[in-house]
Amino acid sequence: MHMRHIELLTAKQVERVHEASLEVLENVGILAHFSAAREVFARHGCTVDGSSGLVTFPPEVVERYMAMAPPSFTFRGRDPRFDRTIPDDGPVVVTGSSAPNVVDPLTGVERRATSGDIANIAHLVNDLPGFDVFSISTLAADAPEGQFSLSRFYPALKNCLKPVRSNTPNMADLHQVVALGELIAGSADAYRERPIINHHYCPMVSPLTMDVDSTEAVMWLTERGLPVYTTVVPNAGLTAPMTMMGCLVVGNAEFLAITVFQQMVREHTPVIYASLPTVADMRTGAYAPGAIETGILIGAQAQLARFYGVPSGGYIGLTNAHSNDAQSGFETGMNTVFGVSAGATLLNMGGLFSSLMAFDFAKAVVDNEIALMDKRVWRGLEFSEENLALEEIASAGPGGSYMGRKHTRARMKTTAVLPELAARDMRAQWEEAGRPDIHARALAEARRILAEPNDAVWDAALDATIRDHFAGLVAGDATPLEA
Amino acid sequence: MADGDIFEQLKQSIIDQDEDEVLAAVDKALGDGVDAKAIIDKGLLPGLNVIGEQFESEDIFLPELMQAALAFQAAMVVLEPKIKESGGADAKKGKIVLGTVKGDLHSIGKNILKLLYETSGFEVWDLGIDVDLFQFVDKAKEVDADIIAISALLTTTLIGQRDVIEALKDQGNRERFKVIVGGGATTKEWADTIGADGWAASAYEAVTLSAKLVS
Repeated sequence: MHMRHIELLTAKQVERVHEASLEVLENVGILAHFSAAREVFARHGCTVDGSSGLVTFPPEVVERYMAMAPPSFTFRGRDPRFDRTIPDDGPVVVTGSSAPNVVDPLTGVERRATSGDIANIAHLVNDLPGFDVFSISTLAADAPEGQFSLSRFYPALKNCLKPVRSNTPNMADLHQVVALGELIAGSADAYRERPIINHHYCPMVSPLTMDVDSTEAVMWLTERGLPVYTTVVPNAGLTAPMTMMGCLVVGNAEFLAITVFQQMVREHTPVIYASLPTVADMRTGAYAPGAIETGILIGAQAQLARFYGVPSGGYIGLTNAHSNDAQSGFETGMNTVFGVSAGATLLNMGGLFSSLMAFDFAKAVVDNEIALMDKRVWRGLEFSEENLALEEIASAGPGGSYMGRKHTRARMKTTAVLPELAARDMRAQWEEAGRPDIHARALAEARRILAEPNDAVWDAALDATIRDHFAGLVAGDATPLEA
Repeated sequence: MADGDIFEQLKQSIIDQDEDEVLAAVDKALGDGVDAKAIIDKGLLPGLNVIGEQFESEDIFLPELMQAALAFQAAMVVLEPKIKESGGADAKKGKIVLGTVKGDLHSIGKNILKLLYETSGFEVWDLGIDVDLFQFVDKAKEVDADIIAISALLTTTLIGQRDVIEALKDQGNRERFKVIVGGGATTKEWADTIGADGWAASAYEAVTLSAKLVS
């Protein structure tokens, strides 16, 4: 075992949270706006009020379908070497997603993001070792009519071998995106065998409501056995009670409802207990996903997820900061390190400023480094007899040095994280280099990566097939930042 | 009791954010023969002004602002029929058509705005959530609105705000209504890009903005 998890609740308290969530589902219920979803609930033992859409859940129904949720979830990429399964592969680090804006890497001014930005971000994420999954970071303001989602998925998949994850706003877009996946796979059957698009939606609108469009997408994908998971988003003070426990219960009831729904649609569908829990800033009602309470709640939820036997995590390590300042670093760092310590293995943490509003290339590079440290935390002490190094201690003896020894040399690149950005030089050296701050160092690294050719891009024949199929598609090519 | 005292009591009941206290003060004032319009203008509204100042200086938090607004609204349920009975029209600051864009079911921010609009003297038609663009346009025409206010929390359906403005342009109605946008997915820059008449970071600021737009 890599490490012992921090636990915020006793086993008894975990059971009480579960019971409390069952009480909410039985007595308060869920408002389901999508009629086909209501039918699914009704067919499988829930009580549905046809006029209001209120669904109530007998506890035994929840227990029966929760028991079907498998213990792991796999993200697949174009290259199977980058497939990742949680929780076994440890923390899977994902970029933050669907920001409308990007901080222009040349001018430093925030502007609408385009498909070209997505191509560049895909190239960057493909190269940065801390990231495992590319959740398409931005929207594409240059999307042609009728290609809102294609203009995001095409540049993302074209430039990244790692698993790509995102959502679609409607069924027409979802069908296009799956068709794109089938073209990449070579056929519908090949795609069914290895679905490389990882779908994500937020069908639960807190508190205790299921929407239409995302619910329909989740149902359609689940019926077909295509990978999809959902995130619940309780917000204490606005959509949940103003206590951490109340927020945990609302989020847990929502997670149970959507998971039970997916199992009713197709038994043994893999899920993730993913959330973005927040406590609103009550001075103004401001949304505060960078606040430490998000980390605490995701930590508690990791414990609940172990109780249910499913992997967990979510949007953790977001920041409310608008630049690569100390706030940006401490919000991303403190939250993710706590989440990982508590056992969360999905971290939607990379690259976004201003809650979820703008992608920044340098922030993504900084977050890559934080991600590598989070993964180091997960490895922990690596206890073993061999690692006690008793022979080495005896051999070096009192007063000896370990620096020049083979034992040291064999482990010098793996025992500690070797950060590219964090300063380890002396102040005089830093001054001589022109006092570069973390943002400048990170942006230089982004420029260096994007100046290199991108080996991830698929061959010309496949590209021609895709472009023939979808007339008027955006170019989707990454370009050096200072073209 | 002197009139001044009763108005002070009304004002203080709002500042105390206590609905029971507000209703008791209103009841007492009406019993003393104070005119409903005067109760609002000389008692309750001065109280709300103090609440607004306290909120701006962060002496009180948003839940307190809302408690005061809800207490005011409870008083209005009693007072509005009396104003109508006496033939006096309660002059409204402006007419607002409000809703959350198509595909988006988030209502809480919009509902806070509705409450603040109503307590600030605006007349509001709340179309709810998941509102089709033509519902906004048709309702605005029907009630001869001053402002169409559109909320969006999800970035992926944000574009619905632009669609409303484009539809107004296509119909030749763009000049007839002010359009303001807000919600978690929006920025000032987005509002400028789609040609909105204004953007506000919070419900409170949206009311101030709207008052400017209709003045």
